[in-house]
Amino acid sequence: MKPHGTHTDPPPSPALRVQALESLLIEKGLIDPGAIDEIVELFEHRIGPRNGARVVAHAWSDPRYKERLLANGTQAIAELGIGGMQGEDMVVLENTPRVHNVVVCTLCSCYPWPTLGLPPNWYKSAPYRARIVIEPRRVLAELGLELAAETEVRVWDSNAEIRYMVLPMRPAGTEGWSEERLAALVSRDAMIGTAVPTIEPRGGASPR
Amino acid sequence: MPALPRDQVRGAVRAGASARAEVPTAPIFKAGERVIARNIHPIGHTRLPRYVRGKHGIVQRHHGGFVFADTRAHGLGDQPQHLYSVRFEARELWGEGAIERNALYLDLWESYLEPEGSS
Amino acid sequence: MNGIHDLGGMHGLGPVVREENEPVFREEWERHVFAVLNLTLAAGQYNVDELRHAIERMDPARYLQTSYYEHWLHAAEDLLDAKGVVTREELLRRAVEITQRSSAAASGTSHSQVSGAPNGSRAPGAGRLPSE
Repeated sequence: MKPHGTHTDPPPSPALRVQALESLLIEKGLIDPGAIDEIVELFEHRIGPRNGARVVAHAWSDPRYKERLLANGTQAIAELGIGGMQGEDMVVLENTPRVHNVVVCTLCSCYPWPTLGLPPNWYKSAPYRARIVIEPRRVLAELGLELAAETEVRVWDSNAEIRYMVLPMRPAGTEGWSEERLAALVSRDAMIGTAVPTIEPRGGASPR
Repeated sequence: MPALPRDQVRGAVRAGASARAEVPTAPIFKAGERVIARNIHPIGHTRLPRYVRGKHGIVQRHHGGFVFADTRAHGLGDQPQHLYSVRFEARELWGEGAIERNALYLDLWESYLEPEGSS
Repeated sequence: MNGIHDLGGMHGLGPVVREENEPVFREEWERHVFAVLNLTLAAGQYNVDELRHAIERMDPARYLQTSYYEHWLHAAEDLLDAKGVVTREELLRRAVEITQRSSAAASGTSHSQVSGAPNGSRAPGAGRLPSE
C-alpha cells in the first residue's frame, strides 16, 4: 500500500475516517461498542437544558435555594440530582436589573454540559467566540436582546475548568406559578445569557 | 485504563472528573487585589488568551487549586496551582472605543498573573 | 500557543448565525466522533488538555473551514497516532478496506473482484488521510 500523499484523491470523509477509527478501537479492545449508543443516547435525549431550567425555576421559587446556588453552584445543582462531566465545578451568575451576564469560551467550546447539554453550533462558532468579548451589546442585539444603556454587561470567558450558567431574572407576572410552569419559560439561550425569559402566551412557550 | 463498559457509562458521566487539586502553598492573591496578566507567549498549550496579556485587572475570587492545563497538555503532570477569577474593564482590554460599563471575567492560574506594581 | 483558536477580539469573522431547533447531532458520523472521543478519554488514552492542544495545532485554514466534530476527529487521530495506539497507516488501510468492501457490495461484483473497478483504482476518498 502506498504511503499517503502520493495520490490526488480527496481526503476521506469524516464519516469514513470515524468508521475506520472506531472499528480499529473496538478490535483493539479500547472501546466497548455497546458504550457508543449509551453515551450518544445520554447526550442526545437525556441531558439537556431542561436540567438547567429546573435549577432556575427552583431558585426563583425558593430564596434559600437561590442563596445556596449563588454561593456554591456545584453543590446546589447536585441537590437536584444534576451534575458530572463538564460541570464538576459550576458557578452560577445572577442577572439583576443592573448587571447582565453572558458566557463564552473564546479558546474552544467549554460549556456546562450537565445543566445545558451539548452546546449549539453558534456558541462554538468563530464569530461568537471572537465578537462577544469585544462587542457584546452588538452581538446580543443581533441575537434579539436589547439591553438598557445603564446595564453593566459582564462577559465570562470559560478559559479554565469552571463552568458557568446564568440565572436569569424572573419575569414579572409569574407570581404563584408552579416550578414546572416557571421552568418552561427558561430557554437554553437565557442560561447562556444571549436571551431573557419572557412570558409567552399559554402553551406557546417554545424556548430555544 | 481499560475500555469503559456500557453499564458504567452513565455513572462515569454523572461523576465526571473534577480538575480540583490540592496546592501545597498558600494562594498569593486575594479578592480585591490588583493584578496584571503576564505578557507571556508560550509556544505550547496555554489558557491565557492573547487579549488579556499585559492587561490590568482585579481579583474577584480565589476558586481554589486546580490542575494546570499548560503542563497537562504536554505530559508534564498536573502541577496544581491556585486559580482566580479576575475582572478586566472593557476599556482596559479594547481601548477607549469600548463601552465603559462593560467588563470581562477570566479564570487565571497563579502563574499567569503578577501583582500590580511589581518591577 | 498564539494559534488560530485564540479568537477573542478578532474582526472579520461575520455574523453570529443561530439556527432554530438545531439538532444535537446533525450527521450520524458526529455521533460516532462524540462517542469515540469521550470513550477514549474515559479510558485514559489522553486528557482533555492534550485534546484541546491537538486541535490548536490544526492548520489554521482547515480549523476555520471545518466543523466542530471534525476538529475532535482530527485531535483523536493525531493523538492516537502520536501515542502509537492507532497509527495513520492503520487508519488509512482500514479506510481503504471499508471503501473497497462497500463498492464491491454496491456494484454487486463477485468476490473475485474486490476492488470493483477495471483498472484497480481506489474508490474516491480513500487515497489519503488529511495531514496535520
